[in-house]
Amino acid sequence: MKVGLKIWRYDSATGDRALREYEIEAPEEATLLDCLDIVKDRHDGSLAYRKSCRMMICGSCGMRMDGAAVLACKTRMYDIAQEGRVPVISAMGNLPIVKDLVVDMDPFWSKFKAMWPWLEPGYDRPDDGREYRISQERMNVIHKEALCINCGCCVSECNAMESDPEFLGPQALAKGMRFVGDPRDGATVERLERYNREHGIWDCTRCYFCNERCPKGVDPRDAIAKLGAESIRLGIDRDMGAKHAKWFVRSTETTGWLREEELIPKTQGYVSAIKQLKFGASLARHGKVRPVPIPHVARDVNEARNLRKVVQEQDREGALGIVQGERALARLAHGGGAESLEEIYARPGAAPRPFLPGDAEGGAVSPPGAGGSAGGASSAGEGSAQGQGSLTQADVTPGKEPTRKRGGE
Amino acid sequence: MRRVAYYKGCLASLSAKELDSSTKALAPMVGLELVELESVTCCGAGDIHEAEPDYYLHLNARILAYAEATGCDMLMTVCNVCTLNLRQANFMLQGDEELLARVNENLASVGVPAYSGKVDVRHFLWEIAEGEGYEALKQVAHRGLKGLKVAPFYGCQILRPSKIMGFEDPDRPWSLERIIEACGGEAVDYPAKVKCCGFPIIAAREETALGELIQPVEQAIEAGADVMVTPCPLCHLSLDAWQQKLEASTGRAFKMPVLHLAQLVGVAAGLEEAELKFKRHIVDPRPALERLEV
Repeated sequence: MKVGLKIWRYDSATGDRALREYEIEAPEEATLLDCLDIVKDRHDGSLAYRKSCRMMICGSCGMRMDGAAVLACKTRMYDIAQEGRVPVISAMGNLPIVKDLVVDMDPFWSKFKAMWPWLEPGYDRPDDGREYRISQERMNVIHKEALCINCGCCVSECNAMESDPEFLGPQALAKGMRFVGDPRDGATVERLERYNREHGIWDCTRCYFCNERCPKGVDPRDAIAKLGAESIRLGIDRDMGAKHAKWFVRSTETTGWLREEELIPKTQGYVSAIKQLKFGASLARHGKVRPVPIPHVARDVNEARNLRKVVQEQDREGALGIVQGERALARLAHGGGAESLEEIYARPGAAPRPFLPGDAEGGAVSPPGAGGSAGGASSAGEGSAQGQGSLTQADVTPGKEPTRKRGGE
Repeated sequence: MRRVAYYKGCLASLSAKELDSSTKALAPMVGLELVELESVTCCGAGDIHEAEPDYYLHLNARILAYAEATGCDMLMTVCNVCTLNLRQANFMLQGDEELLARVNENLASVGVPAYSGKVDVRHFLWEIAEGEGYEALKQVAHRGLKGLKVAPFYGCQILRPSKIMGFEDPDRPWSLERIIEACGGEAVDYPAKVKCCGFPIIAAREETALGELIQPVEQAIEAGADVMVTPCPLCHLSLDAWQQKLEASTGRAFKMPVLHLAQLVGVAAGLEEAELKFKRHIVDPRPALERLEV
């Protein structure tokens, strides 16, 4: 089959960047990685990318296709080639680019190391001198986290890291949960104290890009929630993020609805919240908050309060509360609940399948609202920031540092 | 008319009452009869899922049980975060009989009706983006938006995780654009429309959150938008209310009006200020709308 690729070439030594188009002949079973091999072997030997195992084990070949991080070795090209699409391939986000599709993984590994990615001894050796055995139930807690292959696809799209480059990020924190949840580890409290610092657990902005992109089903956002749940279960709750989360619990058992007006002082403390008075006044002028919070109580709120007592007695809080739902949610990944994209667009009355970057101009499918405003097919494919579906500026203009805009700049 | 259980959530109950009033006014026009749930609480907003996840599951099961008790087969939400939390809990219960049995036992012990697992949780956006709702929408949007340039902002938790949401392509969504066009507006495009507004950490990590928030605001302006529209009241609150903090930190006057989805359609359908309640916005959208004689 014929496969077209547009690849963002970049050289950090010279700063040269260019979008190059390649058309190759590839076998029908070819993956994106196979196609890059063909480009390198037969068309352009100067193309740089990482690879090793070619079978989704080593985690070397993370890169972006049409703005979304993928493992090149997991991405089959047949359907894309059949549709006549020419996808744009670029380096992962949130990491500096060295050359073409190769990123500098040093920042990734330094965060990984900051998690103490090893077991701290502390468990009692079994009396019979045999190996330490872990029950299936205890392994279930870290089953997903243990699947991580350190490819960086989650880090590539992390929205919090774009804004705060020091954020430990989804990969490192999921690795942290792999050790916090391991019954053999003897440093749970020390770990959680460490992960609770600035740039840690409570910096996650819950954008869910990590869960969406992970090629191995780790669901890093859920791992971060498990760390938060374990922290609060063990009373490690001094961080503003933990206080914020606990205020929701308090609200539901007192009034049922979130006591929004008290959320900022309960999170930041009443003294710090004084700085927010001017901001609060602007909200009050428009009726967003009331000068005196009068409880807005939901009917039958005592049921919620009693429910919490019942649940607390059953001792399934902490990570276990999340783990208990994983078996059911895992089925969704295999089509148990959510539909495939093909099914979605085949629904009666559904919108036409939207435009994809690289679609030929005037192709069979046009985006709803494409009427000139959506960037236009050609410009999106060529790397216009306007392209519908393009995720970030960095995706279409590689070599440019990730956005990293902080509020103060 | 299709009867649906209506869960408005915390914000539409208090700080975003304008979302509640415009949704209630619009619903019958697009064929929806809303049965408002009274005995329900907050969904936990991801915070209880993180603080006390077993309690989160039970709280959401309780909401689903009361939705089922209305006799409706659908629970309609108007908030991304409620949508994710309720759908996630729903799938946990639907896919695990043992878990559902335990939760139902606990619900019964505090006097809550049992939940069978048969309610479908859907966002208002999905109801009017395709099918009968979309056909009705085209009929009622007779006043039109007269070419108003609208920047759609989806927010995160109506797109991702797609295995839980599953309505549309999370990287190339189309539903808001389709609605904007059906109302006679022009959808402008920009990369940050599928990214995070920063709201979940805006109280605890304001600086990081503002670094996220500035992207959609700046890009919507660059793309020539007159207004933004979002299906999520949390995104709305950060885009509308925290915009003044972006202005203070950058020294720039953005003044980008942000509409709730029901308000945007409401304008096209001829709803009045009594229902739209634009005076409750920090950045008043009325000048932008009046200028275009919408």
